[in-house]
Amino acid sequence: MSVKSIDPNESKYAASARNFRDNVTRYLANEELKNNFRGAMDYLMDKRKNSFPDANELETLREQCKLIKQRCLVKLPHLLEQLEVNLEANGIKVHWAETINDANEIIAQLIENKKGKTVVKGKSMVSEETALNDYLEARDIECLESDMGEYIVQLADEHPSHIIMPAIHQNKKQVADLFADNIEGFDHTTDVDALIGEGRRVLREKFCHADVGITGVNFAVAETGTLCLVENEGNGRMCTTVPDLHIAITGIEKVVEFLDDVPPLLSLLTRSATGQIISTYFNMISSPRKNGEKDGPEEVHLVLLDNGRSQAFADEELRQTLQCIRCGACMNHCPVYTRIGGHAYGTVYPGPIGKIVSPHMLGLEATNNLPTASSLCGACGEVCPVKIPIPKLLLRLRTESVKGKHDGPQIMKGEGSGRKSIEASIWKGWSLMHKYAFIYNTSMWFATRFRKLMPNNLGVWTSVRSAPKLAPKTLHERVKARNKKIPNKVANNAGSK
Amino acid sequence: MTSDTTTFNTQHLRKYPAKAQQVYLYGTCLADSFYPDSGIDAIEFLEQQGIEVLYPQGQTCCGQPAYNSGYQDEAKAVALAQVAQFSLDIPIVIISGSCGGMMRHHYPELLKGEPGIENFCERIFEFTEFLVHVLNVKLNDQGKPEKIALHTSCAARREMGVHITGRQLINQLENVELITHKYESECCGFGGTFSVKHGDISGAMVKDKTQNLLDTDVVRYISADWGCMTNIDGALEYQKKSLRGEHIASYLLKRTQATNKQQGK
Amino acid sequence: MTSSFKQQSSNARTNILAKLKQEVEGSDYSKLPEEPSYSYPELAQEELLAQFIGHLEANHAQVIPLKEEDIAKIVSEQLKQRGISKLLYGKNALHSEQMLTLDDDIAVEAYDFTLKGNKEHLFNNIPAGITSSKAAIAATGSIVIWPTIEEPRSLSLVPPLHFVIVEAKNLYTNFASLINAQEWQNKLPTNAVLISGPSKTADIQQTLAYGAHGPKELIVLLLK
Repeated sequence: MSVKSIDPNESKYAASARNFRDNVTRYLANEELKNNFRGAMDYLMDKRKNSFPDANELETLREQCKLIKQRCLVKLPHLLEQLEVNLEANGIKVHWAETINDANEIIAQLIENKKGKTVVKGKSMVSEETALNDYLEARDIECLESDMGEYIVQLADEHPSHIIMPAIHQNKKQVADLFADNIEGFDHTTDVDALIGEGRRVLREKFCHADVGITGVNFAVAETGTLCLVENEGNGRMCTTVPDLHIAITGIEKVVEFLDDVPPLLSLLTRSATGQIISTYFNMISSPRKNGEKDGPEEVHLVLLDNGRSQAFADEELRQTLQCIRCGACMNHCPVYTRIGGHAYGTVYPGPIGKIVSPHMLGLEATNNLPTASSLCGACGEVCPVKIPIPKLLLRLRTESVKGKHDGPQIMKGEGSGRKSIEASIWKGWSLMHKYAFIYNTSMWFATRFRKLMPNNLGVWTSVRSAPKLAPKTLHERVKARNKKIPNKVANNAGSK
Repeated sequence: MTSDTTTFNTQHLRKYPAKAQQVYLYGTCLADSFYPDSGIDAIEFLEQQGIEVLYPQGQTCCGQPAYNSGYQDEAKAVALAQVAQFSLDIPIVIISGSCGGMMRHHYPELLKGEPGIENFCERIFEFTEFLVHVLNVKLNDQGKPEKIALHTSCAARREMGVHITGRQLINQLENVELITHKYESECCGFGGTFSVKHGDISGAMVKDKTQNLLDTDVVRYISADWGCMTNIDGALEYQKKSLRGEHIASYLLKRTQATNKQQGK
Repeated sequence: MTSSFKQQSSNARTNILAKLKQEVEGSDYSKLPEEPSYSYPELAQEELLAQFIGHLEANHAQVIPLKEEDIAKIVSEQLKQRGISKLLYGKNALHSEQMLTLDDDIAVEAYDFTLKGNKEHLFNNIPAGITSSKAAIAATGSIVIWPTIEEPRSLSLVPPLHFVIVEAKNLYTNFASLINAQEWQNKLPTNAVLISGPSKTADIQQTLAYGAHGPKELIVLLLK
């Protein structure tokens, strides 16, 4: 009956994150995948850009929303308590979970208490984080993803490759083949309207009969005790309206203080994500079905999950990670994500934001390759609607990853696990050489004199590039020689007193 | 054509000093050992503007390689050694956007509490930024008509905001037509140690960057960052293509010199 | 079994809050930076209406300006155009008396059943529904629905065609101004929904398709 508990460090995501390098090799070789992503990212980048015609408005909104999220984080414990009080007063039950197992167990028992057998799910990345579907299926509870993208991904026995558009890695032909293999009576077509029509037919049937609806939450409003969901398809409304039991699951960082905080956040979220000025539906749930009401769930529950968030919270710099509103813009603009796709990361959250949140969930040991897999080009930080300094946090994680033994408290699980003694020695030597100009200049003198001996094969660098060639004389020497020729030139060592 | 996300960069909105009589040149480690011509050209260009250029022989590297690899202490030792070389209160002109970004925007935190660090960082100017905002240069193009592309480094673009100044300078050259290549604002894949640690991803990025440059009909591309150019030129050479990059200091000097003067170089 | 997870949840609550409080307890909230907000230009009513209609139409909704006495006529016409002969509505809702004067060949059914036990009926037998609305938002072309006992939430969700009656006098500049003008902080209903078009998805190769799960069509009856 009970499911074996999983150490997050041993979870399937930790395992696949450890395989990052192999994943990258595999996905880089896949031309179709690359084209699917490039096309999708171009589309999303253009949509976003066009939805912000006024740079001034954009920058004001970003600053405002950053400060809103930072305020809500400084007040987080207080707001969580307030949220709980107001939700319970509204009749919504609140549950707390430190680990993904605890969250899954709570949900499984809530379903079993109502003798539920079938679940329809709205899009929830947090439930991906907990691998909820696997957990419930092991308890003989059928879980069906109802967001079209999630449904496709579930049919293909895959995970979302993007947090907003889960099936972005597939093109319509691939979806058509998938439907043909899995849905009885489906007439093969690559017409998108027909494909969506088929999904609609199957899923409406499921909505009609499901016992439970499970969704995520975009904003939980402490002031009013309200759960807000952003969506276009209507499956979120179906999941929260038709079944008798609605369970929402979310991370503790999703709480906002005031209802007034919602409009600017919502505006930035949808525009950053898909370039829409608003989503088709913005669904605000403040209570279960009241006396006399004819529909809506009898019971509504909220599960608040930690799973590493409090670790990030404990460090003021890393806390900024929790400002994220999960819009996916950083992915859409990331040149690395665009090339390797979402699955290569191996984590639930891919792309730049995934690189900075996953280490808190899975530990740095499993995710060591993620912070380094960035050219630090800064595109992610530039588009982030809540101004998370993603490149800076990547640098910080690199530092934590190679940190040597120290007496201070442990900041992150797995810190120092990326340290290799050879690499550390190289940087020590490098530092000495560049600290003392005498050593540097002497080394460069020798290097340039013997430049012909420099190898042309520099390993991975020269697998797609020719090696750079040292100059016959360094700039230092050239300037020195030049200054000798020019009368009254005193620049040789000026300033280095 | 897409992806220029740079919208409203506030970081480069800074106060600029009046024209200086003297400046330091920060040559950067890459220019020092691989591309010294561009350093000499930058000095000559500045001298032609009537400025005396000081080049401290004690300078080595800004420390970025160690900093970006997570080795903060090692980076800090090197960074401090640089600061000590530039004690006169005059501008420090850097011929690389990413080293400029390191010294202007990352030193304040890396060297927090060190005496004079704010003043040092305030004095950092990227070469094109200095030309446009401090010298207010007027370029007199002497060269033949040609088409070129511009590659702005990500650090230059996002930390220093100097993709704008590079473009402004090129636009001053009457006979030069600046062609925008596809995904111009996208990273070339260099990223320092990234290109070694994740060579396959970096390789995929530089392949695309070179292809997008080759898809234009330019005779050269101009950049102000030797990191990117080492990467892009290396890939172009490997692909046996003739297109190459030229540092903007060399290019501006060449374009504004009368032909007879060029022989003296 | 139930008690075990309740105990665990309670422990988790204690631990999580303790960890968080350790970091921020005693923070001086008065030192928090002032949050800027963008001031949007004030628009005249006509401009707001144009914006509202423009956004809705861009999102594939049909907007029909009309007078109250024409509701029945227009709804009948629209249903007939689509070959639909049945409409679900809410009794005693605003403008619901208009439904009694629809053309004779259209069957009008009141939503006076509970969803539980009647799901098949709602999902399979009802081609169209009509609801009133609480307010509307110009900046995003959104219609606000506060479902009631008379007009349950599924009435605007399950039928493939959704008519919604919007009164121009309830049009607000943006979401923020609406929340404050109507003081939502004090009286949110079980479920409030902003609707800005028919149900849609772009999950297959970024191609927009309408009618993902909810209404395939949204017809806005705009009372000026």
